[in-house]
Amino acid sequence: MSIVKTMGATAALAFGMSVLAGAAQAQDCTTKIGAVLPTSVDWGRPIAETAQFAVDQVNAAGGAAGCEIEMVLRDTQVDPKVGVDAAKALVDLEGVNVLLGAVSSGVSMPILTSVTVPSGVLQMSCCSSSTAFTGLATEGKTGGLWYRTFATTGVQSAVGAKVAADQGYKSVAVLYKNDDWGQDMARLIATDFAAVGVEVTASVAINDGQPSYRAEVTEAVTSQPDALYLALYPAEGTAAVREWLSLGGTQNMILANSLKSDEFRDNVGLQYLGSALGTDTASPRSESADAFRAAYQERFASEPNGPGLANSYDAAMIVLLAMEAAGKDASGADVAAAIVRVTDPDGTPVSADTAGFTAAKEVLASGGNVMFQGATGNVRFDANGDVSAPAVIWSFSDAGTDEVEFMSLNDVDAFMASLK
Amino acid sequence: MIGVFSYLIFFATTASILAIAVLGLNLQWGNTGLFNGGVVAFFGAGAYGTLILGGTAQAGHLGGFGLFYPLALLGGMAAAGLMAWVVGLLTLRLRHDYLAIATFGVAVAFENLMRNAEWLAGGAKGVRGFERPLRAALGDGFIYNLFFFVVVLLILIATYMFLERLVASPFGRLLRAIREDEEAARSLGKNPARIRLMAFVTGSVILGLAGGLYGTFYAFVSPQDVLPTLTFQIWAMLIVGGAGNNRGAIFGAFLIWGAWTLSGWALSRFAPVDVQLYTGSVQFILIGSVIVGMLMWRPQGFLPERLVVSQRGKPQQTQQGE
Repeated sequence: MSIVKTMGATAALAFGMSVLAGAAQAQDCTTKIGAVLPTSVDWGRPIAETAQFAVDQVNAAGGAAGCEIEMVLRDTQVDPKVGVDAAKALVDLEGVNVLLGAVSSGVSMPILTSVTVPSGVLQMSCCSSSTAFTGLATEGKTGGLWYRTFATTGVQSAVGAKVAADQGYKSVAVLYKNDDWGQDMARLIATDFAAVGVEVTASVAINDGQPSYRAEVTEAVTSQPDALYLALYPAEGTAAVREWLSLGGTQNMILANSLKSDEFRDNVGLQYLGSALGTDTASPRSESADAFRAAYQERFASEPNGPGLANSYDAAMIVLLAMEAAGKDASGADVAAAIVRVTDPDGTPVSADTAGFTAAKEVLASGGNVMFQGATGNVRFDANGDVSAPAVIWSFSDAGTDEVEFMSLNDVDAFMASLK
Repeated sequence: MIGVFSYLIFFATTASILAIAVLGLNLQWGNTGLFNGGVVAFFGAGAYGTLILGGTAQAGHLGGFGLFYPLALLGGMAAAGLMAWVVGLLTLRLRHDYLAIATFGVAVAFENLMRNAEWLAGGAKGVRGFERPLRAALGDGFIYNLFFFVVVLLILIATYMFLERLVASPFGRLLRAIREDEEAARSLGKNPARIRLMAFVTGSVILGLAGGLYGTFYAFVSPQDVLPTLTFQIWAMLIVGGAGNNRGAIFGAFLIWGAWTLSGWALSRFAPVDVQLYTGSVQFILIGSVIVGMLMWRPQGFLPERLVVSQRGKPQQTQQGE
């Protein structure tokens, strides 16, 4: 995701700022939206900050549906009980009909089944990856109220299989993080590898925080694969790869986007990562992604590189655009129904910033549709509320990461369809 | 206004379910002196058992038996009881902190089993696809929540009355005798090992009942619901409420869960915007301080145990304090 900010982005930002000055006037009403995010966890706080950042941009454009937006934030403590209670309080006491969150699938799911669906509230998660949501939606139990901007599981594994096929690997061993994301990845990648004719020789779960992964890695090494697939986070990934290499494992590696980290590269050593290829969902080749990046840097003085930040931004922005499209006093179901109007592939493209929101307002007011070009791409949802996104294949370099291949949204969709 | 009422019903449902769990722990710790550090395993067994037995068919793991709801709930309780029986046979010879460590280990093992055994309970994704009983008739909204609360409340009252009877009975005296001095109880010809096991299994069945209701309420359970935090929360409720006193157990559950949720709500509403992001951490500090303060200044809890001293030839007298 090493995108250099461009002059265009800076110009867009400047335009956004000038709009900011002009538009922040004349709303005498406030609409509340809810957010249930794990703010007591270190990586959860930036996700909440980014959502608030989107809300601030929209308020700078004069708010959504004629009213200023207030985001009421509650902590989940990554505890399902606490998250569900917080969501219920937001719906009943604050009267929100739109809810952002949660991060963990194990928290988002009970919120969905016991709060948002029964109350007819739109729930948009930035980061819940479990395939269980797709199952629930297929059974019609989400009532069209569930969306998520986290695309990586399906796209990620499909592109991983593409890498293996392109490199001519005949067999691959898989090491995966032992949580819902990792278990899903392991299952999906096994299916996708099978679809492109690559044999999975071993699929081994890696638990967090173990002092050594020798037993797990040995199991994978002795299966003698052509390459290693890693769906791990940096800390465990580093430990596992060190053991892998010291046991004489191949340097042919395929990495999930969770390992796209400087920490991982530095701790393993760049000299061992020459044949490692990573996959990720990509920002679109558009000014909007750069605009998001530039505006984010302006606000937080750092790159938006943490997990879920771009997803969180898009989740908030799409919800706010849909609120604008649905109009004043819309119900949760109305807002959910308006999401297609703001993610319409044939709609007017709008960028991910204050200027983009202002432009979208005009188009929507005249009855047109818009295509939101977000921080994670031209976000497009399917009937289950799942999202697809462009993808990129990358490798490590001295400076960070280099792009090896870019796949547009249509390429990704076509490739994923070919796997089925 | 209806919103406030609707939320309070929701809150009271969760609190009542937790209160049932605290009552189960109170039988084990408050009355029998068994340090159960693995509360969450028995709670989880009830939740998983109920959802697997009563849920719709799910690809890839056990379940879909679609049992009549009360049977599924009983099945969940039985699962908790069975597990407690096995665990009890293995560990109840241990005393105090040793028992706590052993049962804590059981709880961690239970969570890991649920996280990894995908064929059993869906692994980290958890068990879903449960239809809440009578949902078709009552819909999904406020009426259903009200109905569910009434059912949970009735179960809580029934559990409370059952335990009050039990504790007042000769069996209850025996439990306290074992708690206070096991050697003395044995010298009177009692079999402490058997009685401890009975108390442990009974308490765990009650924990399983709470777990089953919890799973039903959310129509979902995943390994994230059975983390050690829950054990800690239920213990905090018992200690603050008053170990050995069933009313204290219920009061503690409502008080701690109330403080837990109210502090989150109050911070989100009244804290300045730039502190909002840190309210989660602030809340942890507040809750921790309450528990520490309680342990320092009122270790017997808000409603301490009422010791009943029986004397031959006289009616029973009630006496306060320890």
